[in-house]
Amino acid sequence: MTVRDILSSENELTHMLGAQQAIVLSTRIRLARNLNDHPFPGWAKSAQRAKVTELCLGALNPMPKFRRAHEVRMEALPELERAALVERHLVSKELSGGKGGAALVSRDQTVSVMINEEDHLRVQVVKGGWHLRAAWHIAEQLDDALSSALPLAYSDRLGFLTACPTNVGTGLRASAMLHLPGLCLAGHMDKVARALGQDGLAVRGWLGEGSDAAGNVFQISNQQTLGLSEDTILRHLSGWVRNVVEQEENARLRLIESEGEKFLDRIARAFGTLRHARLLTSGESMANLSLLRLACDVGMLPEARRATVDRLMIEGQPAHVQLRAGVELDTEARDARRATTTRDTLADFPEPSAPKLP
Amino acid sequence: MGKTVPCSVCGATATVHLTQIVQGQITKVHLCEGCAEKGGAGDPAVFQLAGVLSQTEVPPTLACSACGMNDADFRKKGRLGCPACWTALLPALEPLLGKIQCGVHHLGRSPSGVTYSPEQAKMRLDAARREMDEAVQSEDYESAARLRDLIRNLEGQIA
Repeated sequence: MTVRDILSSENELTHMLGAQQAIVLSTRIRLARNLNDHPFPGWAKSAQRAKVTELCLGALNPMPKFRRAHEVRMEALPELERAALVERHLVSKELSGGKGGAALVSRDQTVSVMINEEDHLRVQVVKGGWHLRAAWHIAEQLDDALSSALPLAYSDRLGFLTACPTNVGTGLRASAMLHLPGLCLAGHMDKVARALGQDGLAVRGWLGEGSDAAGNVFQISNQQTLGLSEDTILRHLSGWVRNVVEQEENARLRLIESEGEKFLDRIARAFGTLRHARLLTSGESMANLSLLRLACDVGMLPEARRATVDRLMIEGQPAHVQLRAGVELDTEARDARRATTTRDTLADFPEPSAPKLP
Repeated sequence: MGKTVPCSVCGATATVHLTQIVQGQITKVHLCEGCAEKGGAGDPAVFQLAGVLSQTEVPPTLACSACGMNDADFRKKGRLGCPACWTALLPALEPLLGKIQCGVHHLGRSPSGVTYSPEQAKMRLDAARREMDEAVQSEDYESAARLRDLIRNLEGQIA
């Protein structure tokens, strides 16, 4: 029942409130680490992977951060539960589909460690909203605890040694998840993504590698890990996130000013669809929920409702819908369930009103 | 039928063809359906790696005695076999790192208890001084204070 416990308990991402989550949904730090003298998971035999799992869990479990943590072994989980953990960003697609993968998720879900993903250890710290330094601080402490407990693969010249040359050195991937409906509606997102790409940052969709930007949610992260200090990487990301947030705020203002009634109509239509549809695909649901979220940000709906919209975005994903139903469902049955939950949840929402300009 | 192009990652017949232009430099990457699905097509880092791998020509003469991986295996998989591969296959990896990373020297943190060689400490000290200047210029005093402590620490190690 562990996975259901994880999915049903409150955490920073599903129950957060506050103005600072308006544009930056979450901040994430990921560190790739490996054990010396053990082949990387992709090249290891299953007995070698099992040994690594035991060593890593043995070192992690006694740490205070992992008191009463959730321990999950991927191969022991039904497919739906694995998929739901991926939808929650607690484990990656690669871990969920690979051999011998395990994960340890802290009780408050702020910290998770994937074992036998592409590297032996992938430490991940997630904070709701924009808290890069706070997330880094937690990761740094965990990294120190890890390196005291396990012989990590490290070279003076190349830093932390990883399976893929794109991660060697710091092994650090710092990222922010941003909700950018203003830039998307204004048609400027391609330009922003190009500018970020040219300055060493990667832009990805909601579910990471290879996913599309459902719900106008984008993940921005550093691409280079070697030849830069962690401080430089964090400062570079930080500068760009501030810049993109400012551009998004400006795009929203321009939209409200220039579109007037058309903007209210757009939001009202999204609200109408979500309130009355009998079938909702996950794409349609995300697109309309994104507009509703924007409405909460600009005072067209009470700001306190944003957390509910966020929850609908997370819980409307295919595996979540099926887990909640307790059975595997075909696409149409899923779309019907999603529509019912959405209608019920939005039943007591007030009608969107005209936007309030700051 | 036109002529087939091999996948830049695994060598199978490529069906996905990507072109990326970064700062005026054109990189073409060809992926088979499998590698494209694995996330390669949407991930800029994999894109970059696949592009570089397909251009790198290294004689298949290096092998890691710890895990048995050779440089041809690495070009096929794009992933190394074990930590010791970083020493054994380094001649094949260095040109790659030069293209996909910001340098070939680690400037980040080290495991607790590991101290730097004098040469490493000197390099880090230079980098930290540069960074502190940048931090001060961008009025990021929190980082500047942290860097000042780091610089003092490194100066202590060298002296």
